Amino acid sequence: MSPFQYTDFPELANVDTHTAHHGNRLEDLRLVTGTGKYTADWNLPGQLYACFVRSDRAHAEIVSVDVSGARQHPGVARVYTGEDALRAGYDKFFVIVNWPGRGGEHMKKPARPSLAVGKVRHVGDAVAMVIADSPVAAQDAAELVTVEYRDLPAVVTVEEAMAEGAPQLHDDAPGNLSFDFEGGSEDAVKAALANAAHVTRARLEITRVAPSPLELRASNVEYDAQADVYHVYTCIQGINMLRKQLSFATDVPEEKIIVHAQDVGGSFGQRSAAYPEHCMQMLAARELGKPVKWVSTRAEGFMTDTHGRANTVTGELALDRDGKFLGLRIDWLADMGAYLSATGSASHTRNPNACMTGVYRIPALYGRFRLIFTNTVPVAAYRGAGRPDIAYVIERLVSQAAAELKLDPAELRRRNFLPPEAFPYKTPTGSTYENADMPAILEKALGLADWKGFPKRRAQSEKQGKLRGIGIATVIENTGAGLFPKDQVAIECGADGTVTAYTVAHSSGQGHETTFAMVIAGALGIPIEKVRVREGIHDKGLIGNHTGGSRSLVGAGSVCKLAAQKLIEQGRSRAAEELDVEPSQVEYSHGAFHTRGSKKHVRLADLAKNGPFATMTEASVGSTFPNGCHIAEVEIDPETGTTRIAAYNTVDDAGNVINHSVVEGQVHGAVMQGAGQIFCEKVVYDQDTGQLMTGSFMDYCMPRAGMLPDIHIVDHPLPSGNNALGAKGVGEAGCTASLPALANAMMDALRPLGIQHLDMPFTPATVWGAIRAARKN
Amino acid sequence: MAKVEIKVNGVKQSRNVEDRTLLANFLRDELGLTGTHIGCDTSQCGCCTVHVNGRAVKSCSVLAVQVNGADVLTIEGLAKGSKLHPVQQAFSECHGLQCGFCTPGMIMATVGMLKDTPNPSEEEIIHGLEGNLCRCTGYINIVKAVKQSAKMLRGKKPAKAAKKAAPKKKAKAAKKAKKSKKAKKAAKK
Repeated sequence: MSPFQYTDFPELANVDTHTAHHGNRLEDLRLVTGTGKYTADWNLPGQLYACFVRSDRAHAEIVSVDVSGARQHPGVARVYTGEDALRAGYDKFFVIVNWPGRGGEHMKKPARPSLAVGKVRHVGDAVAMVIADSPVAAQDAAELVTVEYRDLPAVVTVEEAMAEGAPQLHDDAPGNLSFDFEGGSEDAVKAALANAAHVTRARLEITRVAPSPLELRASNVEYDAQADVYHVYTCIQGINMLRKQLSFATDVPEEKIIVHAQDVGGSFGQRSAAYPEHCMQMLAARELGKPVKWVSTRAEGFMTDTHGRANTVTGELALDRDGKFLGLRIDWLADMGAYLSATGSASHTRNPNACMTGVYRIPALYGRFRLIFTNTVPVAAYRGAGRPDIAYVIERLVSQAAAELKLDPAELRRRNFLPPEAFPYKTPTGSTYENADMPAILEKALGLADWKGFPKRRAQSEKQGKLRGIGIATVIENTGAGLFPKDQVAIECGADGTVTAYTVAHSSGQGHETTFAMVIAGALGIPIEKVRVREGIHDKGLIGNHTGGSRSLVGAGSVCKLAAQKLIEQGRSRAAEELDVEPSQVEYSHGAFHTRGSKKHVRLADLAKNGPFATMTEASVGSTFPNGCHIAEVEIDPETGTTRIAAYNTVDDAGNVINHSVVEGQVHGAVMQGAGQIFCEKVVYDQDTGQLMTGSFMDYCMPRAGMLPDIHIVDHPLPSGNNALGAKGVGEAGCTASLPALANAMMDALRPLGIQHLDMPFTPATVWGAIRAARKN
Repeated sequence: MAKVEIKVNGVKQSRNVEDRTLLANFLRDELGLTGTHIGCDTSQCGCCTVHVNGRAVKSCSVLAVQVNGADVLTIEGLAKGSKLHPVQQAFSECHGLQCGFCTPGMIMATVGMLKDTPNPSEEEIIHGLEGNLCRCTGYINIVKAVKQSAKMLRGKKPAKAAKKAAPKKKAKAAKKAKKSKKAKKAAKK
């Protein structure tokens, strides 16, 4: 616990109860004073330390693993290899997809031992685990483990992996194909394409990126032999999702696995999975009778933390003579890496399929999604989880079509928007969009970005020898409905009047402790300082979803409001007894019950005299459909290929906004992750050897301060009817819109030179090369 | 093994450590000061930034023995009792942090930057933050926080707080008082 108290810091206690909240989150105090607690900060008495021996090659048979040197190293308790993983039965990981694909075929889910057995399939695949009494002893001993390999040819791209005669990663996944999934109607799209006046085609790379939350992945596992229970301290997005997966992987019943976490240093989808390290630590903690701690290095992170995106998509958009969309065909190749992650397969089939029509009326849709194994790090959900990818494809096609037809890209969008009166709209691929007002959002954004003034700005840039471009993206996305059927929130009032709420959703920067507290304080009419939100608490036995898919405010957050209301209702009957009146005569305001015309009152706190006054409530909250329009403006220096983001404007419909500064922060961060992917980030593997070339922050280009100018953010809220707050998700919307908005701006700047196509990342070298080649022609 | 004596947050600490112990690990593992975070292994992320003899230093890039006898300040020692340092306060007020993992390093780097450049331009701020990575905020609110803390450190109250603190007349009076203090100082010089 933090040694500081909020009352010690009046400047941080000065927060408003309701919506006009600015900064000063309740969690900030411990985080700005260095008294937060991240996973590496947990130390357990008597703990041992794990270090993993990892494959330095992409694809190879394991001839032998010699651990004798390591075993004799001072301080070493034990060395584990793949045989130990098999002995424990740890050879499988949970995968969300459990539905059939094309032709009723099921997904191929090859085995994945927690330590490699027989073969390694990517650089970083764990081969052995050394346990010692200090981190350095474990590391020194790990260097003494000798692995003899017989190299196999490696494949690092989906095209190579699908080619005839390609090296096969798994015996039970012929052709390296895990899953072949489809949505929409193939015949209807065929007819639309045949009858079209114009067809716009593009093959787009959505690059593989490393999510790279700044907290290094870590875990500390303790086994309580008496209770036969595992305590897993680790970085998570919510306790239940991890527990479910760990139970699946180890066959330990869920109730015997207790997951603990306090502060989590970013997640972005990368923390949603159970990892092999968790399982091996569980095994070692039980067998050695001591807690086992492991903290990843960043180098290990790049070669083992799940990557994101990694899709190659071909799209064809059919239009009639008036620029009306007739049909869209998508051929999607998803690189799954060497093994299936829990979320990656659903992220790159179900999610893009759900939003394949974008914000447009497209009568015929067809998507085919193939998931392919390659000798690379497994791919999982990454902020947006397939939604930014599909939005990128649709929105690039639309802007390209506008350019080909010499139409204003805003006008082409206007002609094809789903009109507000079309909602609720059932899309051809089975989603039901709740509501959206795209025409109004577009006009607002065009005004905000001074769309009409662009030619003038372009001319000014030209005078200075620069290329200027403007790009629009109008997008919609389904927020995650969640794997668990409902979200429960427990709430209690203590004798001192402090109200505490417990949720499964777990913040990794989203500020639940503040926003959820604002919801509860608002519902109860009490100061926010009197409200605490606690996450990662196992003993409440709550059912609920982890944080992901932009769902936490919509799910857990809205249930916080219901829980507060239920607390009032239960308190009303108890207060009525104390006030000796009928419950209907009892009114509630600002933390107290009273009867009209009487000075007698009972405070919420009074009901907790003999122990906490507590209740629990739940709701099943499905998807919401946040939507919006982003307009980006870029300026390229053709002499160097460097790009400056000149302006960035957003109009987002995130439903009712509870905490503006948190929502703006989410938009900032997500747009920056989009900008990072568009301009610099890319995981690179060597084509021949499958070596990871971007294995550190020295080689992998992370966005730094100044890449993004201040963003102009305007809300256009249409409340959602699916939850008690009227909120829609917002965490991922910035990624979904920024990828296409920025890429469209780049293409707009480059098209006048005759450059018709360029893939992300638009690095200076790529842009300079394309300009040079275009000028030669 | 080597004996090191380092003054950390004003308290003299003496330990026997392996020669290869990094200052970051010394602070975290030997002293339990886990506010200093480790986010990479190539001195890129800046999460481990502390002050050594008043200068901002990435504590993963120095050995504990190298700072023997030095004065080290970590994030835990920045607030004066219960009074937050203006940079800490500004990061919170400007929502310049989300997950908080990069925050201690960002704050220590900012304190260092503002010592050298008390009134930095936007470009100077961006340059000054080059050695620190953040994955959550897009840096937009961090840049705002640096600007606000620079103002606070130069003795100007942020507009929002000043409005709340005092009605206009009083604020004017306070300004006058400040001016006269400044004038007196200038006269002394």
